[in-house]
Amino acid sequence: MIIITIKRSLWFALQSFWRNIWLSLATIFIISLTFLSINFLVIINAISDSAITAVKNKIDVSIYFKQDIRESKVAEIKSHLETLTQVKEIVYISPDENLRVFKERRQDDQIIQEVLKELEGNPLSSTLIIKAKNLSDYPEILKAIDNPAYTDLIDKKSYDDHQTVIANINTITNNIKKGALVISLMFVIIAALIVFNTVRIAIFTHQQEIGIMKLVGATNGFIRSPFILENVFSGIMACLVAISVIYFILSLVQPHLANFFNGVDLNLIGYFNKNFIFVFGSQLLGIIVLNIISSSLALGKYLKV
Amino acid sequence: MIHLINVTKTFEPKTVALKNINLHIEPGEFISIVGQSGSGKTTIARLLIAEIRPDKGKIVVGGWNITGIKHRQIPLLRRQIGVVFQDFKLLPKKTVFENVAFALQVSGVPKSRINKIVPQVLKIVDLGDKLNRYPQQLSGGEKQRVAIARALIHRPKILLADEPTGNLDAINSKEIIDLLLKINEFGTTVVLVSHDKEIVNGLKKRVVTLENGEISQDQKVGKYVI
Ligand SMILES: Nc1ncnc2c1ncn2[C@@H]1O[C@H](COP(=O)(O)OP(=O)(O)OP(=O)(O)O)[C@@H](O)[C@H]1O
Ligand SMILES: [Mg+2]
Repeated sequence: MIIITIKRSLWFALQSFWRNIWLSLATIFIISLTFLSINFLVIINAISDSAITAVKNKIDVSIYFKQDIRESKVAEIKSHLETLTQVKEIVYISPDENLRVFKERRQDDQIIQEVLKELEGNPLSSTLIIKAKNLSDYPEILKAIDNPAYTDLIDKKSYDDHQTVIANINTITNNIKKGALVISLMFVIIAALIVFNTVRIAIFTHQQEIGIMKLVGATNGFIRSPFILENVFSGIMACLVAISVIYFILSLVQPHLANFFNGVDLNLIGYFNKNFIFVFGSQLLGIIVLNIISSSLALGKYLKV
Repeated sequence: MIHLINVTKTFEPKTVALKNINLHIEPGEFISIVGQSGSGKTTIARLLIAEIRPDKGKIVVGGWNITGIKHRQIPLLRRQIGVVFQDFKLLPKKTVFENVAFALQVSGVPKSRINKIVPQVLKIVDLGDKLNRYPQQLSGGEKQRVAIARALIHRPKILLADEPTGNLDAINSKEIIDLLLKINEFGTTVVLVSHDKEIVNGLKKRVVTLENGEISQDQKVGKYVI
């Protein structure tokens, strides 16, 4: 009995969908725009997240040792620092390695190349590069390095926290997000109004049918469900349209992303693939709830059952 | 079967459609309600299917006090009362079969059962050979017979007909009245609202006459006297 009723509601809903195809298409169009603007928000989120992650990855503390410090001593300090819980990893760079990198980097600088040639032996020393688990762990690590036992060994240390870069990224993306949020909200409101009106028009065009349904003992639920289902159906279609459009656009944009965000590893398609169910599922759920609410409001208002 | 006890219905701002009506209809009765236009006949019909509610008094249908019936229960009531109107109320885009089947679909009856009983009922109203016609391809009398078939499809205990012959000529009217009598013979209580003097007088059944929202006469074998 319930299954029969659901099947009939579905059938009535589909019929009505086709009979008012232009209205249905307009509804789908607006709901798709809603989806797209919301997903624009999602994309901005993904971009700012990976940009910030990339910058955070660049943050580290480098310790440059004095020239005459033996490697074994540096190794000792390294293993001592590694016992700190805040430390994620420590990379040891030998004097030779440092020299090689330095030479490579200054390849085109004739003067430096010549000076290096004149010098006997390696003027560079060992370096330790320390990465913390969290940004907030660096002060603790810096304190540990300031240990008086080390002061004589260390030539200099550098710590660049990139705070301003992160702050900039945050400001920019927050502004974009605010704009996208306002646009999304507008589309949500428009979508709700359209659904509301779709149902209202549907009720007017079906008034005779509804009257007869009531007369022969149809329940409110039976009278309502085709209208609500019809809009839920539009929501699902719009979701499919939005998904196709988003993947199409991403496939065009993806190859240029790496260039644009110089070196930042940003795989938006991968991001959407990974979060597909969550991203689109929650949006579909949202639009279905929105549909049910505005359909019910319209029905309650214009269908005195 | 039907009891109206001290029923009063006023329409805003100050039309008193029914004044303190007391009417008792026994199971299996065939009763005609007559009266001038605006005397409150249709108002009684609408009260019985809970389309409107009385201001005062009590209405009992088939042992069920429907005076303050809950919205959710109205569909159950309507499946127990078949209704027929002057304007047929058929869906123009549905065939004869579909118009009748519709009444079963809305209450979740399986397709196999619909396919079985709809032709049976249409045969009773003598439309067994016109299942696939559309309303516009039918005469007025045939349309009203479709409406009667639809009203009967739930096997109601009561058939309520509000001027079912109002749009029909004499011959078609007679056919419809004969059909109502036949339905009554099977045990269904029939409430007929009518304007037609000849029809009512020819029935030789109970006649209740309304005047300005009040019952002025109630005769066992009545005549339309106004
Ligand atoms: N919805 C309404 N709002 C206001 N007044 C109404 C309404 N429905 C009916 N009335 C009034 O109530 C009175 C009784 O109406 P009702 O429809 O019962 O008359 P009736 O006997 O069926 O008449 P007819 O023979 O013309 O169908 C009339 O005066 C009518 O104008
Ligand atoms: Mg009337």
